[in-house]
Amino acid sequence: MTAPFPLPAAAAPHPLLEARGLVRRFGGLTAVAGIDLSIAAGELVSVIGPNGAGKTTAFNLISGLDRPDEGSICFDGADITGRPPEAVAVAGLVRTFQHGRVFANLSVADNVLVGAHRRLTAVRPAWPVVGPLAELALALIRPPSVKAEEAALREEVREILAIFGERLLPRIDQPAYSLSYANRRRVEIARALAARPKLLLLDEPTAGMNQTETAEMLEIIAALKARGQTILLIEHKLDMVMRLSDRVVVLDDGRKIAEGLPLAVRNDPAVIEAYLGHGAVGSAARAGDDAPSAEQPLPLSA
Amino acid sequence: MTSWFDHTINGLIIGNIYALLAVGLALIFGVSRLINFAHGSVYVVGAYVGWVAVSVLHTPFPLTLVIVVALTAVLGVVVERFGIRPLAGAPRIAPLLATIGLSFVLDQTVQILFSPDPRAVPMQLPNWRVAIGGGSIGVLDLLIGGIGITAASALFAFLKLTKWGWAVRATALDRDAARAMGVDVDKVNSIVFAVASGLGGVGGVLVGMYYNVITPTMGFEATLKGIVAEVVGGVGNVPGAIVGSLLLGIIESYGVALLGTSYRNLFAFILLIVILVLRPNGLFASRRQLPPEPMTGTFVAPSRPVRLPVPLVAAAAALAIALPLLVDSGYLIQTLTNVWLYALLGLSLTLVAGTSGQVSLGHAALLAIGGYTSALLALNLGWPVWLTLFCGGLVAAALGTLLVSPAFRLRGHYVSIATLGIGEIVALVILNWESVTRGPIGVAGIPPLSLFGYELYDTNAIYWFALALMAALALLQLRLLGSHLGRTLRAVRDDDVAARSFGIGLNRYKGLAFAFGGFFAGLSGAFTAHMYSYINHETFNTQISVLALTIAILGGMGNVGGAILGSLALIGLPEVFRVAAEYRILLYGIALLLLVRFRPQGLLGTV
Amino acid sequence: MISRRLFLQTGTATIAISTAGGFAQASEPAGEPVYLGVSGPLTGPNAQYGAQWKQGFDLALDQINGSGGIKGRPLRYLFEDTQSDPKQTVAVAQKFVADKRIVAELGDFASPASMAASPIYQRAGLVQFGLTNSHPDFTKTGDFIWSNSVSQADEQPLNAAFAVKRLGFKRIAVLHLNTDWGRTSKDHFVAAAKNLGAEIVATEGYLPEEKDFRSTLVRVRDANPDSLFLVSYYADAALIVRAARQTGLAVPVAASSSIYSPKFVELGGEAAEGVFTAARFFPADPRPEVQTFVTSFKAKYGKEPDAFNAYAYDTMVLFGQVLREAPELDRRTVRDTLARVKDVPSVVYGKASFDTKTRRVAGARNAELVVKGGSFTLWGGGKATN
Repeated sequence: MTAPFPLPAAAAPHPLLEARGLVRRFGGLTAVAGIDLSIAAGELVSVIGPNGAGKTTAFNLISGLDRPDEGSICFDGADITGRPPEAVAVAGLVRTFQHGRVFANLSVADNVLVGAHRRLTAVRPAWPVVGPLAELALALIRPPSVKAEEAALREEVREILAIFGERLLPRIDQPAYSLSYANRRRVEIARALAARPKLLLLDEPTAGMNQTETAEMLEIIAALKARGQTILLIEHKLDMVMRLSDRVVVLDDGRKIAEGLPLAVRNDPAVIEAYLGHGAVGSAARAGDDAPSAEQPLPLSA
Repeated sequence: MTSWFDHTINGLIIGNIYALLAVGLALIFGVSRLINFAHGSVYVVGAYVGWVAVSVLHTPFPLTLVIVVALTAVLGVVVERFGIRPLAGAPRIAPLLATIGLSFVLDQTVQILFSPDPRAVPMQLPNWRVAIGGGSIGVLDLLIGGIGITAASALFAFLKLTKWGWAVRATALDRDAARAMGVDVDKVNSIVFAVASGLGGVGGVLVGMYYNVITPTMGFEATLKGIVAEVVGGVGNVPGAIVGSLLLGIIESYGVALLGTSYRNLFAFILLIVILVLRPNGLFASRRQLPPEPMTGTFVAPSRPVRLPVPLVAAAAALAIALPLLVDSGYLIQTLTNVWLYALLGLSLTLVAGTSGQVSLGHAALLAIGGYTSALLALNLGWPVWLTLFCGGLVAAALGTLLVSPAFRLRGHYVSIATLGIGEIVALVILNWESVTRGPIGVAGIPPLSLFGYELYDTNAIYWFALALMAALALLQLRLLGSHLGRTLRAVRDDDVAARSFGIGLNRYKGLAFAFGGFFAGLSGAFTAHMYSYINHETFNTQISVLALTIAILGGMGNVGGAILGSLALIGLPEVFRVAAEYRILLYGIALLLLVRFRPQGLLGTV
Repeated sequence: MISRRLFLQTGTATIAISTAGGFAQASEPAGEPVYLGVSGPLTGPNAQYGAQWKQGFDLALDQINGSGGIKGRPLRYLFEDTQSDPKQTVAVAQKFVADKRIVAELGDFASPASMAASPIYQRAGLVQFGLTNSHPDFTKTGDFIWSNSVSQADEQPLNAAFAVKRLGFKRIAVLHLNTDWGRTSKDHFVAAAKNLGAEIVATEGYLPEEKDFRSTLVRVRDANPDSLFLVSYYADAALIVRAARQTGLAVPVAASSSIYSPKFVELGGEAAEGVFTAARFFPADPRPEVQTFVTSFKAKYGKEPDAFNAYAYDTMVLFGQVLREAPELDRRTVRDTLARVKDVPSVVYGKASFDTKTRRVAGARNAELVVKGGSFTLWGGGKATN
């Protein structure tokens, strides 16, 4: 499944996602300065880079939360450049957020059910006025088909939550605001899985987790990959990146400075330079963060 | 033509006056992220303090200003300390409600102390006038402009150059980070409220002198215009607030010149909506910005709703049904009929604001649309009332959703400001569209309520009809909340960005919420119109919009039982306080403040 | 010390409760009181009018109860604050209707509030008596709905005649409060003035909360009028005449009787000088009933009465007479007696009688006034100059 190094951008015959020349400027600052990115179905690609490298901005552009100033994004054979996030999600590209954005007043089960929103039959009719009214009517009348769908989804929610062992299942009816930070992150991933995405974007899924929890998360992501889930991962914990990734993309200062197999990237001088150079300033301020520190630029020998 | 020059000058003059309030509102919003509805009341207090100084103590002008600034600044500190600060940990909606309660208390106190009569404030400045264009401007015009600009410059210097200014700006940017960096956020808030209130107080006395009249009720309208000016200039942007005020003044003046005086506010509020839709960060915001990240749980209180035991609900329902048979009091039954009708409005708003997070301050417009539709269909076309009631609901749903749709892209407080503007626009269109709505004359002789051909005159019959309607729709709303739509709408409320990332199109679901809620409100308005037999453009005014929001918040956002209980409390309390005569609205304001203080998540909690 | 002075200056508006006043107590009849219900604003944006009503009512009650009351029983009123808010007026209406002591109801203030309650009073057979309800449809709800508010169809032609015939206005610009009352008045005035050969060069309706009239007056100035006619309350009218000076619109101003109030002169200052009005009530009117009213009002409150004080006083005096003449003190008889009373002494009308078809007072009369030297004085003829 892994391609020979160095990997050309269009190596896979039909990339699931293909972004070309993405540029995003904020005032005078160019956060993303011409990034190409492509993922084939079934791949797990990690994006790494020092703080401020443009990783989350790139995620925002791909998931439709932000619009690129230049460049194009193609997903599953369709151009999704500048499409709103809801359209991107409906197309099958679903993400999690860096800081964990759960629906605070919704129960764990409801949070995960919202993830399945795009699969509901009731929300299908897209005609203006008629579509929403039909959806309203289905919600109020609730014919047997709607009830059956809802019951099946609730069963599925339990299955998804079971992935996390006993972390979430006992709390299934608790509101999300009452959960620990790590559990909120888990709910986010469960919610994303409920969408049955073609491509799953995970933005630092283990941020704020301790070692045990991180190890657990690693196993879960590995299992997802084994099931054939295509994943684009932003992660600071490099040992995790090395173990999971088919390919690694390194960003610095809004540009792609390296791309390839984990091992090759680890030894790339440009990558080491990036982490040693200005990357150290940003990460030093965030004590306790798992970003590489100045003294130990690339602790890759896990 | 010289008139355009005159209109421009006039616009600048009135804009000057708006700026006196807008600057303070901008400063408070900038730091506390709070639309301070009590700001206009501080302005009223300033005007009356000034009146006492001038007319009773006979102070010279500079001393008058000093007294006014000192007392209103202290008032600002008190308002912040006891009205706002205790709510720091509460959801952002709570302080908003607290400022509304405070404005009741302050306005009523002034009215009780000074009587509701308008008063003249003797001008303490020489009456020199300079001819300009076809008219003239006086010393006071220049002084008001001067004070506005001086205040803004001083503020600018304070914010940029002093240590406390830095602290204020840091707090405005990120309250938690500022606190972490050792900024005494409470003190910053105190300073901001003192400065803004002092400025508002001076505004009150200068405007009082300018028009030579002050009344205890002049604050609300002034706050409204101040908010519009502030939004035009960019919420929280102090120099922007001044430019926004002047621009608002000029647009209004041109509006009057083009179409006439009745259209002044129409121009003001259309400007507001246009700015909100095209440049939601105000005219002077340059950067396209991503929405701030986690809104999660900050606007609506995270809380567990109180679960009412079923026997209790059943007993309450049985009592409500049997009540007209148990007591013979038309007054009680009528008051409760009002309660059910306002509960219907509360249900509507608790769905829109509570469940979906779109905090509407223009809900009275839906009542008006429903009321006028039903009244005119019944009167002009002779349709049976049960049908026109239904049509009133439908038209309110459709038209309301259509009117609010430009605001779907807004979030947080901007939705409130936009819906406030849309509500005013609807009222002004009703006033000016005489061929259909009969303008200020209103619609008289609206046929009474009827059902299956029987006219309902009897107080008890009307009561049961209202109760049945309200109960049926409450059950319908519960059913909606239990469906996938309930969960979807609540997701939109809790985090619209995350919701969109799961394929939830905001327009579709906000539209559905407004349509569903609009039907309820329209029905309530239609019912009311037939019960009253007469309505005009003032029947459903902004006060009702504020009341509706108060009901929704007090009951617990998104909480169906809460809306009913909130309506019972807020329609009932003023009646209970009737024994207190002139003091009853004061008591009502205090009760409101206490409820917000001790139960910010509402009586029954957020759903 | 401040607050004490304030209370003295503001009169007893905020503390007067129904039949206060020492001298009346001594001779007040001792029987079971006869009650009228009053529904009106004591809080909220219209609170000032409710306070003015109270002053007028209390003065009239002093006199009625000081001279024997109603058949040996004192007359009183129960004032319920409604803020002139329809949802409260309907509740108060039910309260009054159920209170068997109440023989008739007075109020409310604004039309939306008053007319919302009318069906309840009509059905219950309790007279609703509108003091200030000039809405053309107010009395149409039924035969229990009455008003002594002058029909604008009667009043405005008199104003038009004053402005056009006697003051010589030819090109008139009309500014009116854009409410049911202002709009109706404006329409009647415009029609009457046109009939008399004047030209209406501009009409501008403004909202009750309007404060800034400069732009309006520049617009009016562009229509090149030779005069202004105001359909306003005193506070707005004061703002308008002040702004007219500032915008360089130096034409004579006349206004409907509603501006009649000492407050108009106080708020308008110098700009109020030379403003004409044709008031129904005027303190210098030599008629004895007016002089009794003005003297006793000044004695009780230390200030001159205005038009709203006069309406309230007049209404209470009217009910004093109606209740004295009524053979029984039940609600229907009170209604029937209202239709029968003739020529009740009135400070507003001279003599008041009702047209039983419209249930309004028949006939209107005006004293033609001008503001001179800081107060309203009788206009002695002579064309308007400014």
